[in-house]
Amino acid sequence: MQEEIFVTGAGVISAIGLGRQATLAALREGRDGIAPVRYLKTSRVEFPVGEVKFSNEEMCRLLGVPEAGVTTRTSLMGMIAAREALEQARLPGDGGERVALISGTTVGGMDKSEQYYLDFLENDSRNEYISAHDCGACTEMIADYFGLFSMVETISTACSSAANAIMTGALLLRAGRADVVVAGGSECITKFHLNGFNTLMILDREPCRPFDAGRAGLNLGEGAAYLVLESGASARRRGVVPLCRLSGYANASDAFHQTASSPGGDGAYLSMTGALATAGLAPGEIGYINAHGTGTVNNDLSEGLAIQRVFGERVPPVSSTKAFTGHATSAAGGVEAVISILALRHGFIPPNLRFSTPMPELSFAPAAGGSAAPRHVLSNSFGFGGNDTSLIFSKTD
Amino acid sequence: MTREVYIRAARQISVQLPLSEGWMDAPLYPEGPYARAVDPDYRHYFAPNVARRLGKLLKRALLTSRLVMEESGVSRPGAIITGTGLGCIENTGIFLDALAREGEGLLQPTHFMQSTHNTISSLVAIDARCHGYNSTYAHKGASFECALLDAFLQLREGRVETALVGAHDEMTPDYFVLLKRAGYLGHAGGFSGETAASMMLADRPGDGALCRLRGVELLYRPGAGGLRRALDSLSREAGVGLDEVDAVMVGANGHPPNDRVYGEACPLLFPGKPLLRYKHLFGESYTAPALGAYAAATCLHRQRLPAHLFAGEGGVERRGVRHLLLYNHFENKTHSLVLLSACGG
Repeated sequence: MQEEIFVTGAGVISAIGLGRQATLAALREGRDGIAPVRYLKTSRVEFPVGEVKFSNEEMCRLLGVPEAGVTTRTSLMGMIAAREALEQARLPGDGGERVALISGTTVGGMDKSEQYYLDFLENDSRNEYISAHDCGACTEMIADYFGLFSMVETISTACSSAANAIMTGALLLRAGRADVVVAGGSECITKFHLNGFNTLMILDREPCRPFDAGRAGLNLGEGAAYLVLESGASARRRGVVPLCRLSGYANASDAFHQTASSPGGDGAYLSMTGALATAGLAPGEIGYINAHGTGTVNNDLSEGLAIQRVFGERVPPVSSTKAFTGHATSAAGGVEAVISILALRHGFIPPNLRFSTPMPELSFAPAAGGSAAPRHVLSNSFGFGGNDTSLIFSKTD
Repeated sequence: MTREVYIRAARQISVQLPLSEGWMDAPLYPEGPYARAVDPDYRHYFAPNVARRLGKLLKRALLTSRLVMEESGVSRPGAIITGTGLGCIENTGIFLDALAREGEGLLQPTHFMQSTHNTISSLVAIDARCHGYNSTYAHKGASFECALLDAFLQLREGRVETALVGAHDEMTPDYFVLLKRAGYLGHAGGFSGETAASMMLADRPGDGALCRLRGVELLYRPGAGGLRRALDSLSREAGVGLDEVDAVMVGANGHPPNDRVYGEACPLLFPGKPLLRYKHLFGESYTAPALGAYAAATCLHRQRLPAHLFAGEGGVERRGVRHLLLYNHFENKTHSLVLLSACGG
């Protein structure tokens, strides 16, 4: 029997608000965060986005970080989310814990690189942002803000990064490499990937409609979210009450295409069945699925068919909360882990906004939301290259 | 019950002769601060359309991966894990350059599609039709050690039986200029290189494993006490005393602020131990430590340490090697320890 892993803290910032309370309120009231571009300096104003509704300067002030310093948007959002998670888990504690930070990101400091790239090449005016470009730099900025971590790692598997960071956190805990792990991800919107996604023609010019027959693409989002993970013994010793268990997790490769999912969702099928196996749960015990559900034609069909393969005729309530937050790419798995935990603890199913017409290929329609009492929630996060991860969160009682 | 971990096969493409252990007896010493890898003739290995479609980094990663899979007789590894500091920086740079110079109007999808860090791991999985665990670590100079630790822990605990670990970083002329400005590359006394190293790890030796992987420690801003504790823990868990370690291989690269950290830590942590180096052969790159591990594994397999690996003057070739310890740091923030042992040792 493997040692159980508990979640003792959760922090989040996304298009629908700063913190768990704001996130919960928005989900319950059906308030999305998709809007015209306001903070990103782009000419691509035709695409609505799920921006975090704070400027970098405002986030610096919230954190007490010098506004003139070298801090990227990804790092600032990461600090805000990690701070909330740490506070809930009452960390730092007595100083005896070995705490690891595992963070997922892909664009890292790209927001500054795309702004200053010609300066990088041609003069010495913005050198400090060169070292801030890469993924690891963002994680180290977050780590150094707290000065708490004895081990720091960065995962970059595109849109499944944060979910994979949570998996790696579980591996480290079970191997005794850390007493407490802070795991999740952070990612800001950049012109780089807004335009990149546009070249792939997968952005919707309207607010996105996951799992709708008329869906026309995704809205890019941004944000950060982290969970604090630890063993039951560690939580008891530190006197913190677990929010839930991380009961199952699995990653699988779709091994099909760099930017498209296989028609039958092979990777998604394997990650969901793998997570159920590690949790020791039957499909019928899952009370809610927080789907990857980007709103692209390809993802929602592939994921929907994979869900049908796993759950057969008894598909539990499924919703994609990307209609609220947009697709927060590397942070999405973290944001949706927090949303899954909120659903578990507060007994509700977040609605799949803007759904009107069922997909003819699927036997199920996404959830309209409302009260429910899921005991186990499954969260999917799928990345470019067919990097598919499923996490299961379970009630502790 | 934890399991043993073996390195069954390892291959490299770097500034040394590609896919060769020629560096042991006839090392190349590139001139100047910036050297590209010596690429093999990919026409021998790939169909023309594949070779055309993939950038250099992806070709190197795919070829070294295919070869270690073939040599170890593992066609579908249980895990494919890549470390890369910068990912596909050539494609990223092309897209960024176009964005900066021409604006948002005329961008093409190809470079974006092959710009994410996990393009590498995904490509290998797609090529091998491998549906197993797939991950990518991108943490500056510790990217390889993050990947190695993940594989090591999963193998030790029996989650997988085989794991393909890759470490891949290219360095374009443009990005060399950037990292020189940032103070990381371009110093006198060393040079910037490129890394493509793949290795097959397994819980069984198979036919002729190169060496055993005994432990991996990864630390952030550890201080002297933290390093000492990690070393003790590594030694205890592996059952190998520091007195049994033949030599310590370090990531000295000729740049004083980098080398000073080793100069201060090594006499305290490993008093009297011979120090080995590898960046004088392979150059500096975010994932260069993988080439250090590859070199150490090769030395353990061949049971000799060439004279040129010894740090300082007057190195003498040594035969018979049982345990090698690798110690790397990056900017004195991330520190790593990796212990390798000969298969009979």
